[in-house]
Amino acid sequence: MISSLLALSIAGSSLAYPVARRLGRWAGWGMALLPAALFVAFLGYAPASSAGIVATDSLAWVPSIGIDFSFRLDGFSFLFCLLITGIGTLVVIYSGAYFSDATDRERARFITLILLFMTAMLGAVLADNLIVLYLFWEATSILSFLLIGFDAASAHARRSALMSLRVTVGGGLALLAAIILTGATLGTFSLTEVSARAPELAASAWAPAIAGGLMIGAFAKSAQFPLHFWLPNAMQAPTPASAYLHSATMVKLGIYLLARFEPFFGYLPRGREVLLAVALVTMLVGAFQALRAENFKSVLAYSTVASLGILVMLVALDGPMATVAMMGFIVAHALYKATLFFVAGSVQHATGLSKLRLMGGLGRYLPVTAVAAALASLSMAGLPPFLGFISKEFLFEAQIQSTTDAIPMAVAVLVNAVIVGVAGVVTLRPFFLGRDREIEVRHGERLGLIVGPIILATLGLVISLDPGWMNASVFGPAVAAVYGTTVDVTAAMPHGLSPVLLLSGVVLGIGALIFVFWRPIHRRLRVQLWLDSYDAESAYEALLRRIDDLSLKVARTVQHGDLRGYLWTVMAAAVALAGWGMIASGVLPRIPTAEEMGVVRLGPALMALVGLAGGLAAARARGLIGAMLAVGLAGLITALMFMVNGAPDLALTQFSVESLTVVLLTVALLTLPLAGHITRSAGERKRDMALAAAMSAVLFVALMDMGSSTPVTEVSAFYGERSYIEAFGRNVVNVILVDFRGLDTLGEITVIAASSVLVWSLLGPQSRAEGQTPIASGRSAFIFRFTSPLFFWPLLVLSVITLFRGHNAIGGGFVGGLTAALAFAVVSLSHGIEQTRRRLRIHPALLVGGGLTLSIASGLPGMLVHGTYLTHVWFETSVLGFTIKQGTATLFDMGVYLVVLGAVLSYLFGFQREAAR
Amino acid sequence: MTVVYALLGAGLFGCGVFMLLSRNMVRMLLGLSLLTTSVNVMIFQTGRFRSQLPPIIPEGSEQLVNSADPVPQALILTAIVIGFALTVILMALALRVHGSHESVVTSEVRSAESLGDPILPEKTT
Amino acid sequence: MITVPAGILAVAPVLIPLGGAALTVLARRRQPLQRGIMEVAVVAQLVASVLLLVTVASGGVAVVTLGGWGSPFGISFVADRLGALLCVTASVIAVAVALFARADIRRRRRKAGFDALFLAMLAAVNGAFLTGDIFNLYVWFELMLVCAVGLITLDRRRAQLDGAFRYTSMSMMGATFMLIGIGLLYGEAGTLDMAHLSQVMSGRPPSIALSASAFLLLSGFVLKAGLFPLFFWLPASYHTAPISVAAALAGLLTKVAFYACLRVFVLVFGVAGTMSPVNGMAPALAILAAGTMVVAVFAAIAQTDVRRLLAFHVMCQVAYLVLALALLSMLGIAAAVFYMVHTMLVQAGLFLGAGAIARANRGYDMRRAGGLMSDRPLFAGVFALLAFSISGIPPLSGFWSKFLVIDAAFRHGSTTGAVLAVIAIVVSFLTLYSMSKLWTQAFWKTPVRKGHAAKPIPATMVWSVAILAVSSLAIGLVPDALLSYSREAAVQLVPAAVAESLP
Repeated sequence: MISSLLALSIAGSSLAYPVARRLGRWAGWGMALLPAALFVAFLGYAPASSAGIVATDSLAWVPSIGIDFSFRLDGFSFLFCLLITGIGTLVVIYSGAYFSDATDRERARFITLILLFMTAMLGAVLADNLIVLYLFWEATSILSFLLIGFDAASAHARRSALMSLRVTVGGGLALLAAIILTGATLGTFSLTEVSARAPELAASAWAPAIAGGLMIGAFAKSAQFPLHFWLPNAMQAPTPASAYLHSATMVKLGIYLLARFEPFFGYLPRGREVLLAVALVTMLVGAFQALRAENFKSVLAYSTVASLGILVMLVALDGPMATVAMMGFIVAHALYKATLFFVAGSVQHATGLSKLRLMGGLGRYLPVTAVAAALASLSMAGLPPFLGFISKEFLFEAQIQSTTDAIPMAVAVLVNAVIVGVAGVVTLRPFFLGRDREIEVRHGERLGLIVGPIILATLGLVISLDPGWMNASVFGPAVAAVYGTTVDVTAAMPHGLSPVLLLSGVVLGIGALIFVFWRPIHRRLRVQLWLDSYDAESAYEALLRRIDDLSLKVARTVQHGDLRGYLWTVMAAAVALAGWGMIASGVLPRIPTAEEMGVVRLGPALMALVGLAGGLAAARARGLIGAMLAVGLAGLITALMFMVNGAPDLALTQFSVESLTVVLLTVALLTLPLAGHITRSAGERKRDMALAAAMSAVLFVALMDMGSSTPVTEVSAFYGERSYIEAFGRNVVNVILVDFRGLDTLGEITVIAASSVLVWSLLGPQSRAEGQTPIASGRSAFIFRFTSPLFFWPLLVLSVITLFRGHNAIGGGFVGGLTAALAFAVVSLSHGIEQTRRRLRIHPALLVGGGLTLSIASGLPGMLVHGTYLTHVWFETSVLGFTIKQGTATLFDMGVYLVVLGAVLSYLFGFQREAAR
Repeated sequence: MTVVYALLGAGLFGCGVFMLLSRNMVRMLLGLSLLTTSVNVMIFQTGRFRSQLPPIIPEGSEQLVNSADPVPQALILTAIVIGFALTVILMALALRVHGSHESVVTSEVRSAESLGDPILPEKTT
Repeated sequence: MITVPAGILAVAPVLIPLGGAALTVLARRRQPLQRGIMEVAVVAQLVASVLLLVTVASGGVAVVTLGGWGSPFGISFVADRLGALLCVTASVIAVAVALFARADIRRRRRKAGFDALFLAMLAAVNGAFLTGDIFNLYVWFELMLVCAVGLITLDRRRAQLDGAFRYTSMSMMGATFMLIGIGLLYGEAGTLDMAHLSQVMSGRPPSIALSASAFLLLSGFVLKAGLFPLFFWLPASYHTAPISVAAALAGLLTKVAFYACLRVFVLVFGVAGTMSPVNGMAPALAILAAGTMVVAVFAAIAQTDVRRLLAFHVMCQVAYLVLALALLSMLGIAAAVFYMVHTMLVQAGLFLGAGAIARANRGYDMRRAGGLMSDRPLFAGVFALLAFSISGIPPLSGFWSKFLVIDAAFRHGSTTGAVLAVIAIVVSFLTLYSMSKLWTQAFWKTPVRKGHAAKPIPATMVWSVAILAVSSLAIGLVPDALLSYSREAAVQLVPAAVAESLP
């Protein structure tokens, strides 16, 4: 049932926008039906509530982590629901009139936001699951953000909106942490269960952290010192929003949370003290700033801060009376403060004035508003027979009962006195005093603008005069819900003289003085500007500045833009990680066995040393040509190393790759500056050398350790056994490439293909004008011209042979393709690109694409026949009596051949073009 | 031989690193090709030089007996070609960088970092 | 229900884009045809991945050893819950990007090979998610790298060339580390099949070579994942790429690298268990994660260029993943899986959104942007969803992701866990700080340059962003399905031997 009400609210508010737009000027009255209906619906719970029945409702949401949409309507929630929907109705009506001169879009947007906010509020006070509570809690923060920044054009509004978002959502994160910890400690997110097991929670190790998180979250929301500063700034919001969010409902959410966790704080050592301390400071700060403020709304805002402080104090105080007082004050404050905000809005709307000083004698123009203001102020000042009076009586009653000492009492008296003063100032000054002041009033009163204030103001009187129903079905159950046991609540006029009454008298006395001497006090405090540099807001600003400065510093340090620095850091980090790993392994490197050390073959060893020398030479070389040759030497030696260790395929490939690299580099170096002038300072070179040495050392140790372990040859042995029998190839390496691990090859030729596309787009003809002149000129070209035919055809034939015998002997697609590429390279270097392409007859990209397609396709038959991709299908053909096994593997290798050929050619053409420019 | 080839692999790698840390793009890409070569040397050692015979099944016999480990060879073949492609890409990039920046010294080529840089004054590409 | 043999389904997400790439290369010069092939391939890939997900979710792991040789001799494709889920996520992003590309990628860029490279990259991404062979994983990484470079330099702008050079040089370093690590691993264990490796590894005594291998692999992956202090390539290159490309890279590449961490360290080295031959992984991961989070989020706050700001957030989000992994607990791994899906979608969405913002404001400079709230309210809302999602506001996917990570960290019951949790909370506040700044500047503020209002945003752009934003919202509203799925995925990922020793 509860969830259906909530669902109704959600549906209604999310569909509100178009309806409200259509309703136009009547949007206020029209849309008010939703909250009104909800209000009535909730009233229906009154009997149950007075009977002490708690309605619950639950829908599964995330069962796997025990999070459900579970709702709970007890007395406390009931009280809030009535406030939210009741005041919500009046706020919507008021906003309709408030935005009378705005566009329909704007009005609709505002009302929609208000309704969404109301929904979020309801969800928050009805939720029984803490995560659901958090969900709606955050929703209220975000909607408050949007409402404060409603007038996005004003930078001040944006700033205030961001401020409230950061403070409240930041506090929300603390709350989330507390919730998660609670869940981790108790294994449940149910609010009911948590408050039932409060002692257990308070005894847990996480208790202080949880308490801290809860407090930060609640304080941020309920504007407690030092997180209170966002609330006065939130007055940037349109006044209806201020009345609703920032006085009546949202700011009380923190109180709601604290009250729900009151038992927990009670059990926690020093829990109540902390709350009390914060509350008292907040009260004083609020009262003090209220005296300094000069805008109608900001005076109200600061007095709200003070009132919220009072509420937190009431949470902190023990004893049943504190809870009673809290309930009374929540209602009383909601009623009169909302009214006064309405009034402030009306005044501003009618006169365009916002500073209190400038107002006066408005009672003549806005009589009803004036009456409402008067009633509200009387309640605020706590004069009998208003609700405010009763709640204040309870307040002092609670303080007398509670075990705390006299300081809270004194503070409470003082702050209440200031509130009395404020009450007088905000009503008497603008409406009744200063009649001589001439103010042009844009328009008189409008029904929409007076309904809200007058109803709320009168309620403040009605309830106190006839408290029966409220006591029975609202206050009583609410107190019972929070305090645990039912307390006999009688919100009524006390009879006879009592210390409480005495205190009230004192308060009124001081309050009257404050009112009388308002002007001088206000002026005195106003001029003390230095105070502003000590308040929390400037601390917040300073913090933001700190963050921004720090972030700039960080950005500068991590984005210095020097590529060498980046690479150095990366390499250093890798060395550090690898080194750490080796240390952490806690073992020493294994070293080769003696007889393994023994079998050092002299030739290969010397060769290796030459290769190493080549590397060193490359590193030390000044000129780039020298470096290139040295690198080439190292590559060559590597090829030889492969050769003498039983890897002819590798040797061949390495060799042809090296030679191609050299060819391309020479072409490239024709355009690039050869002067390899020093780009590193001596210090940098030293550091680089050290780093390189460290990396080498790490790798050397690792390699030696690996080499000294006994190899596992199961897999490679398998290849040796099956290669010929099942894959019909004698060259095991090639069989692995095209069959056992064909996918690697497929991925790899895709790499080649992609690289050719890339080079084509970087250096292709479209990137600049076509360059046709052969780059090799002079004698070399002369030689080439004659020799190229000698090279071309033999190389081409050789490449094809290499391709086809590859499966059984040295060779294969790669080497074949590279050889073919070499053949064309010769032509291209001697006769230029155009002739080569004429000889080629086909665009390299097509070779690449075709080859890739062929290789991919060659795996498909197997997939159709055997159901697994790249399973090669074999069939026997008999040529001249010989039966030759042919299979899709051959097609695969042909694809490789084509891709490599096409890719290398597009490299070559691209580089030659670039060189020709 | 383990130690010798370990020395070769690690040593070449070090040289490659040293060249890579230069600010001259051409030297850097030479260094990177040296790195790839050295890595191939390292991978080759995972076969442990247990034989000098190539992993090719001789005519007449159906199975491989006593030869070098074919698997690392296959891996290296793949690695070589990929390394080649990447080296070429770097070359092409270096060429175009030189074409557009008139320099191959990385400290003088800053257009990527200065694009929308919060610290430097606004620039447009 | 269509019944496709698992053997075919498991490779389809790779073969479809791969074949498409080959065809687009063949269809050179005919840009409309190329676009057609690309879009068909992308959609087909999505369908295939969804089918695969359905199969896997019901029938356990789909394994196929290509070439028909049994594991560990051939290269196996192992489509488990994790792999399938990530394939689907990647495909969704691919569809969104393809849609966005209709308005963003014009003739010149297609001529420069956008379609071929994009498809090849998708193939590589899916291949990495599905392959069960560690060397094959390396090959896919290299393919991703090459395609990414090609995509970054589509316009051959100066900044793009410079950025691409920086990207390539640093990534090649990472690839080298990876390759050496794989080599050492093969030298020790004599196999490359990851499932086989994990059997061989468990209970194996620690050794220098294995540790070196593990940590070199870590360096390689971490570099590609963009973690401090190896991330420099990312903020140096992403913002130079065409925005559709940047979105694809942000959504896919770094996450693939993290996926590799997850797969290799949890499965192969079984670092979560007590039987692992590698020590000291957890602290390394924790430090990397914490460092990255803090550095990245602060660096992000300083940025004024939307793309750069988002690039730093990419790193910050990956750090959350690594943090979850660093806990080495079942909860942590499950959280990481969930988080990965969220962050892939949202990151891509944010970059695409940035593209739309730039289209409307004629540039990526936040200081010049503004006024979109009133001019493009729908788009403003969509982008707000993404911004709130990455900041962890309920009920969006980002909230659950952060919730799970923080929850796992607290439940870890160690001081490290608590510290990491606190860092995560503080950083998510800073994330909100930065994102709210971005949003208010781009959407609320009235544009600095008066006169001309925001240019219209093509519908395809808004839709592509909306797809991702709505999926984030959907995950957030109904998290249970994905949540329980990721838990099962975690269980499947962790080797049985390790599982019972886990918290």
